[in-house]
Amino acid sequence: MMGQILLSLAIFVPVAGSFFLPLAGKLSSRFRNILAFVLVSVSFIASAAMLPSALSGGQANYWQIELPLGLTFGFLGDGLAVFMAMVSSFIGAIIVLYSIGYMSHYNNQNEYYLLVVLFIGSMMGLVYSTNLIFLYVFWEIAAIVCWRLIGFFREKETVKRADKAFLVTVFGALVMLIGFFLIYQQTGTFDMLQMKGVQISDWAVALILVGIFAKSATLPLHTWLPDAGVAPSPVTSLLHAAVLVKIGVYAYARFFLVNFAMNPVWHIVVPIVVGLSAIVSAGAAIIEKDIKRLIAYSTVSQLGFIFLGLSTGSILGIAGGLLYILMHGLAKGGLFLCAGIVEQNAGTKDITKMGGLIKVMPVTAVTFIFCAFSVMGLPPFGGFFSKYLVISGAVSSEQAWIALAFIVGAILTIIYLLRAFTMVFMGETKLAGFEDIREGSRTMLVSVSVLAGLSLAAGILINYPSAFVQTIVQQMAVVIR
Amino acid sequence: MSDMMLLFPIFVPVFLGAVMFLVPGKAKWVKEALLLIGTAVTLVVSILFFGKNMDFVLPWGGFGMDLSLKLYQFSSFILLSVAVFAFLIALYSVVSMKGHEQAKKFYAYMLLTLGFVSGAVLANNLIILLFFWEGLLVLLFAMIMTGGKKASPTAVKALVLNGVADLCLLLGVGITVFISGTAAMDKINLPMDFWGSFAFALMMIGAIGKAGSMPFHSWIPDAAIDAPLPFMALLPAALEKLLGIYLLTRISLDLFIFQPGSGMSIAMMTIGAVTILLAVMMALIQKNFKRLLSYHAISQVGYMILGIGTALPIGIVGGLFHMINNAMYKSALFLTGGSVEKQAGTTDLEKLGGLGRKMPITFTCFFITAAAISGVPPLNGFFSKELIFEGAAESGLVFYIVALLGAFFTAASFLKLGHAAFLGKRRTEHDNVREAPWPMLVPMIIIAAGCILFGVYNALPLNNLIQPVLGAKLGGESFAGILPASWLLAGISVGVLVLALANHFFGVKRTKSGLGAVDHIHYAPGLKTVYKWAELRYFDPYNIGMVIVGGISKVLWWVDRGIDWVYDKFTVRLVNILSLGIRKAHTGSHRLYIAWALGGMALLAVLVAVLI
Repeated sequence: MMGQILLSLAIFVPVAGSFFLPLAGKLSSRFRNILAFVLVSVSFIASAAMLPSALSGGQANYWQIELPLGLTFGFLGDGLAVFMAMVSSFIGAIIVLYSIGYMSHYNNQNEYYLLVVLFIGSMMGLVYSTNLIFLYVFWEIAAIVCWRLIGFFREKETVKRADKAFLVTVFGALVMLIGFFLIYQQTGTFDMLQMKGVQISDWAVALILVGIFAKSATLPLHTWLPDAGVAPSPVTSLLHAAVLVKIGVYAYARFFLVNFAMNPVWHIVVPIVVGLSAIVSAGAAIIEKDIKRLIAYSTVSQLGFIFLGLSTGSILGIAGGLLYILMHGLAKGGLFLCAGIVEQNAGTKDITKMGGLIKVMPVTAVTFIFCAFSVMGLPPFGGFFSKYLVISGAVSSEQAWIALAFIVGAILTIIYLLRAFTMVFMGETKLAGFEDIREGSRTMLVSVSVLAGLSLAAGILINYPSAFVQTIVQQMAVVIR
Repeated sequence: MSDMMLLFPIFVPVFLGAVMFLVPGKAKWVKEALLLIGTAVTLVVSILFFGKNMDFVLPWGGFGMDLSLKLYQFSSFILLSVAVFAFLIALYSVVSMKGHEQAKKFYAYMLLTLGFVSGAVLANNLIILLFFWEGLLVLLFAMIMTGGKKASPTAVKALVLNGVADLCLLLGVGITVFISGTAAMDKINLPMDFWGSFAFALMMIGAIGKAGSMPFHSWIPDAAIDAPLPFMALLPAALEKLLGIYLLTRISLDLFIFQPGSGMSIAMMTIGAVTILLAVMMALIQKNFKRLLSYHAISQVGYMILGIGTALPIGIVGGLFHMINNAMYKSALFLTGGSVEKQAGTTDLEKLGGLGRKMPITFTCFFITAAAISGVPPLNGFFSKELIFEGAAESGLVFYIVALLGAFFTAASFLKLGHAAFLGKRRTEHDNVREAPWPMLVPMIIIAAGCILFGVYNALPLNNLIQPVLGAKLGGESFAGILPASWLLAGISVGVLVLALANHFFGVKRTKSGLGAVDHIHYAPGLKTVYKWAELRYFDPYNIGMVIVGGISKVLWWVDRGIDWVYDKFTVRLVNILSLGIRKAHTGSHRLYIAWALGGMALLAVLVAVLI
């Protein structure tokens, strides 16, 4: 009973609560901001409270309603779902906190907070859904909200980019929906719990992968993500670290690691596709001059590592992939929020026009390099463990050549992140009015420091996330090899 | 002694290093005290540890990543050496870094580095080794950054070059752990089949990369100029060599079955030989005290790799002996360079000269250690080099000849350096230069005395520290002794030294200056152009690598742009073309639209009727 209540709170408090935010905003903007933070925090706390029962199988965190036409509307909080929900809602909450500082100068804040909280809420719904159709519904709610958020600044170019992101991800989702129907044809149900362990056809896998890769910005469906950098920085951070691109990764784990069996050939095809994605986007990141686009390409590249971990089919790799979701979320969230501070206070996104900012933004510079170290996978930061496990997972499924390709990707990662860091924060400045540039506001600095600190702590205290992930991997039914 | 104490040399310095960040900037002596306490405690602990056997396992990361530490003869020897150098250099830095605006951070990084190095040495789990090993990258980057604004390109270069080597090590560890089914280093012993050799090669790259061998070396000469001097004495000269050669020995002796004459052995010896020769050729023409030394820091590691690469007991013993000797004289040489810089204000050899009288103790230390690195008997460098020569001569004449050439150029460049800095005419602005303060002199004196001790009484290090590492592989043989095993090779080595001396006098007579002693080599026809290109960094592997990465990235970027074009332009045009026909039907006429709607409804009604 308790589990069911917590589960409902985690989903419906942000989904339903978001619509009250504009009302709250009419009363006081301060109240609205706090309420937004509270709504997302409730999701995190409720998810965290489900943790003990989720780790012991998650049967307590389950309810469903029978609907006509044989549909079921159900939610389940098992280990994987709770893990993903905790990561997303935690980073989401930090980003809402940051938004309070960042968004304070802009119009339409009521709309902003409504969308952001609904965005996180739809992620919660998606993560806990047991039914493919409702999973799809939350998937599309996220897409619609995301479309508005990317186009938040309403300029012509911005709206065009938002349309592009919407069209690509919705195209993918519709293709995926066809895949769902193929599964329905085969099993006669959309309820994932009833089709555990079913081997689905290659067509269904391929169609679903299109949806997943479109959402998780993987080659060749990735170019909307760098373009989405026109959104307000906290939104980009949300897209990259907590919600949007993590949907595809989560869906991959949910479908192909927990639920369906698939032809083993996919354990070779997917790593090759994501390997190409990781290297092409890393190369693009080295050339890119816009700081937000640069970090966006980095996300595309790092998503390749996550997919590699999840797709090779070895336990080490899966564990690494899941840890990677956490580590990358913390670090990439931090990087984007730092980029937001830089972009807002320096007034440009072009890294060739910056330089020397460490002098005026010491906190931002240090948090940026902390997060960058974690993305590079250097110990003692958390990214080290996930990167090692992903690579050794590829090795232990006897795909050492793919692992070697990813080592090249990791080298490129070091190069482009150091390049970004030095061009923004080191050397002589090229900015006019350098003396007047100030550090971000206090809530912004607190947010980035928390993320950077956790990136470090997640490495030193790796035993906690690692034990969590270990339990999740044991729960997974369909682990091939 | 509880096995838990194995955590001390890791956590004490790391903890104090972390505390250092909390010390307010204005507090006097607190940071210095923390540094000295941290290094001293580590030193005491590692002295207590010496010769003991301990094991400690703490479950940590899951998935086989247990914090497993093992103290045995080899690791206790390396740990002790690390602690000694860290303490001496800490003592030196307290004076030499005084008043440096980044001193606090530098001390903190120094302590953290000490803790991480201890961790890497004690690790008995490959993944934990990797954790500490790669963690040093962050500290390396941070330490070079303390050199000031201009240091950041060098810091990036160091991180990228070492990062490449470390990522190779990561893959090597992954493969090794997979093949052997365990990450416990004392349980792994793999044959060199295809994957075995592949893993060995990757781990070797990691090891020699840390040691600063070619092609992972080119950040060292840059750091010599940009980073604070104690950094050079601590990391590239001492700790990184110890660590790199430690791992190289571990993989060659324990983790893999490494045979003389195997392909890997020849590859390793080739890397060693190339490193010796090219780096020393570069050292020869340097006109800056620190930069000259830094090229020797690269060149000397070539000897160690060559020695261990022979896979013969004599070569491995020689390589290890050379490792500890090099750490001694190289760090002492950097320290002498530091005191010259501190007292005379520059390390530019064109502006130095005649300092020997003003700084007699520094000069004496320099003289001893320079003689040791040049291989003058009976100093320590002579004996370790002889062992490597014997191993090399047994493995292939070409390796021996290259090693000899290296010895010639080493001696020649140190004759030039000593002459240019300490002898000759003193500049008037250096009339008031004084000897360095005692805390800077003491470490130099101790290390220089050690160079004499380890030479004259080489049984002490060989029998107690180095030969036990090989254990049974040695078959009870001992290479200790004041008399050389092969009079022929020793004679040739001494002959080479005499030649170097003759060359020096020839050069000095020719150009009338100590600095010009090797100009006849520098500006020899043919060599002159090569040197010019080298000075322009045409051969810097980092620059070459960056050009390649830049080119490939550009191509990948265009691939990406191509894909984007499909979305932004191609799809839009395609849709426009495809919709041409339909567009004609949408004229804006309401009547037509109503007709369409009605038609559609009728069609739907028919459909429903048919289906029901």
